[in-house]
Amino acid sequence: MAVQAEPATAVPVARRRRRGQLGWVGGIAVTFAALAALYLVMAPLLALLSTAFRGPSDLLPFEPGAHWTVDNLLEVYLGTNLLSTVLPSTAIFVLGSVVVTFFTAFTLAWLVERTDLPWRTTIFTVILFPLLVPGIVMAFAWTLLFAPNAGWVNVALRALLGLEGNGPIDIFSMAGLILCQGIASVPFVFLLLGAAMRTMNPSLEEASSASGARPITTFFRVTLPVLRPGVLAPLILAILVALEQFEMPLIIGFPARINVFSTRLYFDLNPEDELPAYGKAAAVALLFLVAAIALLLVYNHLIRRAERFVTVTGKGYRPTRYALGRWRVPALAFVGFYLLVAALLPAVVLVWTSFAGGSNDVGLDAYRTLLADNRFWPAVRNTFVVAGLSAGLITLIGALLAWQILRLRFPGRAALDVVSFLSIGIPAVITGFAVMILHLTIPIGIYGTVWILVLAYSYRLAVSTRLSRAALIQIHPELEEASIASGGRWLDTIGRVVLPLLAPSLMASFLLLFIVGFREFTIPMILQSQDNWVLSVIMWKLQSDRQTAQAAAVGTMILLFVAPVIFVLRRQLLSRQGDA
Amino acid sequence: MLTVRGLTKSYATADGSFQALKGIDFEIPAGGFYTLLGESGCGKSTTLRCVAGLEEPDGGSISIGGEVVTDTARGLHAPAFERDIGLVFQSYAIWPHMDVFANVAYPLKVARPRLGAPEIKARVLEALRLVGMEDFAGRQATKLSGGQQQRVAFARALVRRPKLLLLDEPLSNLDAKLREQMRFELQELIRRTGVTTLYVTHDQSEALAMSDTVAVMSAGRIVQSGAPREVYGQPDNRTVAHFLGSANFLRGRVIEAGDGLATVVLAEGAVEIRVPSRVALSAGAAVDVIFRPEDVTTHLDPAGGAIECSVERVVFQGGMSEYQLRLGSTLLRTVVHPSVSAQPGDRAWIAIRPERCILFAAG
Ligand SMILES: Nc1ncnc2c1ncn2[C@@H]1O[C@H](COP(=O)(O)OP(=O)(O)OP(=O)(O)O)[C@@H](O)[C@H]1O
Ligand SMILES: [Mg+2]
Repeated sequence: MAVQAEPATAVPVARRRRRGQLGWVGGIAVTFAALAALYLVMAPLLALLSTAFRGPSDLLPFEPGAHWTVDNLLEVYLGTNLLSTVLPSTAIFVLGSVVVTFFTAFTLAWLVERTDLPWRTTIFTVILFPLLVPGIVMAFAWTLLFAPNAGWVNVALRALLGLEGNGPIDIFSMAGLILCQGIASVPFVFLLLGAAMRTMNPSLEEASSASGARPITTFFRVTLPVLRPGVLAPLILAILVALEQFEMPLIIGFPARINVFSTRLYFDLNPEDELPAYGKAAAVALLFLVAAIALLLVYNHLIRRAERFVTVTGKGYRPTRYALGRWRVPALAFVGFYLLVAALLPAVVLVWTSFAGGSNDVGLDAYRTLLADNRFWPAVRNTFVVAGLSAGLITLIGALLAWQILRLRFPGRAALDVVSFLSIGIPAVITGFAVMILHLTIPIGIYGTVWILVLAYSYRLAVSTRLSRAALIQIHPELEEASIASGGRWLDTIGRVVLPLLAPSLMASFLLLFIVGFREFTIPMILQSQDNWVLSVIMWKLQSDRQTAQAAAVGTMILLFVAPVIFVLRRQLLSRQGDA
Repeated sequence: MLTVRGLTKSYATADGSFQALKGIDFEIPAGGFYTLLGESGCGKSTTLRCVAGLEEPDGGSISIGGEVVTDTARGLHAPAFERDIGLVFQSYAIWPHMDVFANVAYPLKVARPRLGAPEIKARVLEALRLVGMEDFAGRQATKLSGGQQQRVAFARALVRRPKLLLLDEPLSNLDAKLREQMRFELQELIRRTGVTTLYVTHDQSEALAMSDTVAVMSAGRIVQSGAPREVYGQPDNRTVAHFLGSANFLRGRVIEAGDGLATVVLAEGAVEIRVPSRVALSAGAAVDVIFRPEDVTTHLDPAGGAIECSVERVVFQGGMSEYQLRLGSTLLRTVVHPSVSAQPGDRAWIAIRPERCILFAAG
């Protein structure tokens, strides 16, 4: 570089006007992520909102003839059983199942993380197993086990107790629905609670023992209060998850004539011999959207507090384990009973039914029919394409979004932050509906294809922004600045420094989102067409057409696929835990 | 080489804005070693980051090697990656996912136009040799000690042969012994490469030992700059005197002044001393006499000194002891050879070397 002759009156060599560190590549990438977030999360919600206030109800919101009105709201809230029946049964269903989930998950997490329970690693793996299995498969398996007439368990109990007729257990009841949903949500909550217990600073408990407190006193006076933020946040999350559940209410609740919010919305959209009532459905959705977002705000407040209440010391301390002593056998019995009901029996009944459910001979008939069915292979492909693409897309967008929210200062940043976590609070059934309206109103030519599923699944942005955000907070900004000061442009800094450092959490985010996408049932049900069936939907179709053996064969193949994935997942989780 | 003019910078805070820099001017000649010294929060890092281009100042201009990189009046601001600099952070910022070689090679790999692999390799090894780390090229960055990370950070900053080296408290994360050693190594390294250096520290002994020029900063301004001896020996004001080494303050009154010398009678101890005076003072003016611990001798018998004190505390520090002496309402610090042993409550007599005293009009 030519040194100027008169350094005192330096000549401007800075060639262009002022530019930021982003450059145009960075500018485009960051803008793209922000717009994508708005499109994936906000656009469907706005479409939904306007639908609730447009009538008449059977028209799309901006079809000719539609106008602004509050008729939908009046009609739905005053003229139907929404407030008198659906709301109370939704509340009972949600609260009941959350109580079951929490009691079970807390006990399991406690036993696995904080006691000397034998075979902990194996138990950990088997508990996680149902996490990967679509809820619809679990629901189906449980009906095979507990249906009042031909359910395996009922048949066995009747033989054992010498009873006649149906029963004694009736899964098609509110109690059955609550228990099934409660057990189905256990693995997820177990993971969150386990993490909170694992990262607890042991010196807090040791200080209590050193002060002369007995273990039971320490548990109630120190352990529980310290864990409170780490327990309350999963509690709210479990409520949100229960609220959006659709599989159990459809398979178990519907035969029992129990209507909760998700099934009500679905049947409003798919009425028998009528046109779908978009406006009324949107009005129903509105109530639950408001409730969910209120819960989300509480949740967000709690995890911000939990972050401040961090119990991790990062020093590799390991909480001490309690000796179970004479409680060992009851504890093992509890775990064993849970695993039997939640994982082993469902797996066995599915596999058996797939071989023997169709006729009286045991054989591969169901598989032959299934593999010859020309809907099957496209459904396999769709399942993987949609889960994989949406997971990849939002892992990337979420990372960019988290990066810009943490590292850049720009107007609207706070609003973007809200958008980035909003999706935790939006029930999937509402998303499916909202995306449907958006694409019927503004057709971009993907309605009824797998691409609309990719877009709809991708609303779960928050999973990825949350994980990336947590990881980015750990990355000192000076690591990025060192790259810029070394002459690295935005793309160099992101590609060579930020992304490699984020790699473990990007992997985790992809894996998690892939599993969520693989399990997804609600969204593909609502947005289904003949061209975009996925495995879970196919299974439901077979099941409701009474093709029990074939449905079980689909379930079995899903289990076969999931089994190896669980070991990848377990390695990830255990390596974080640093425990063999 | 580096010229900084009228640099100002404010940060938005919860309650309005906070002006971190209130007009910074300085210049470093080619090959110079310039140190910004000041207490925490005075704006040293902000200044350095503005020079690096990591922060954009609100006002002022910066030119590096005759190239204007920032001029707010003309709306010019070149981002950091276009500036010809090497930067070492306090945290070293060694990338944990790369080995030593890749860390040092990074500035060359992202350079445009691209460099060939053999050239990159040669220059990286040269830089590693410069810092004595050539045997560690394949070592994972996370498996380095603090001092080794430090050296890698230097190699990375120097590998581009920048015009300007920027160092933000590079030694403050090291333990005391290593810090001393690295100080000499660093000085030697910079001397050999001849790179112009802007150094930021809050450690006055580093600043005094290493720099050509020391600038003392306080609350967003440079309050005094000059050669280390000059700034240490003739502080312009109390802030500087206090910040550079510990200083003793004694109240006094001028009896007679002239010829750059003043006769002052001390308020406590009632003795007269003749001390150099840089400002014109008239008889009767109240003044502060300032002197450093090493400019006082302490004796345990009245023959050695004229001012009588009582020993308040003795702090044994190995090679020497620090005495805290009470003179009326004032506490004085002096340094004494450790063989002298006094107990708190003993009496002591001190003698001040008058030619080392500095006078300020009492504030
Ligand atoms: N991003 C920022 N936002 C708000 N205030 C800031 C920011 N960066 C620095 N400041 C404030 O500007 C002032 C100067 O900061 P600076 O980092 O330059 O101090 P420093 O002299 O380097 O101190 P230290 O020795 O502690 O590193 C401080 O009061 C600091 O709180
Ligand atoms: Mg600093």
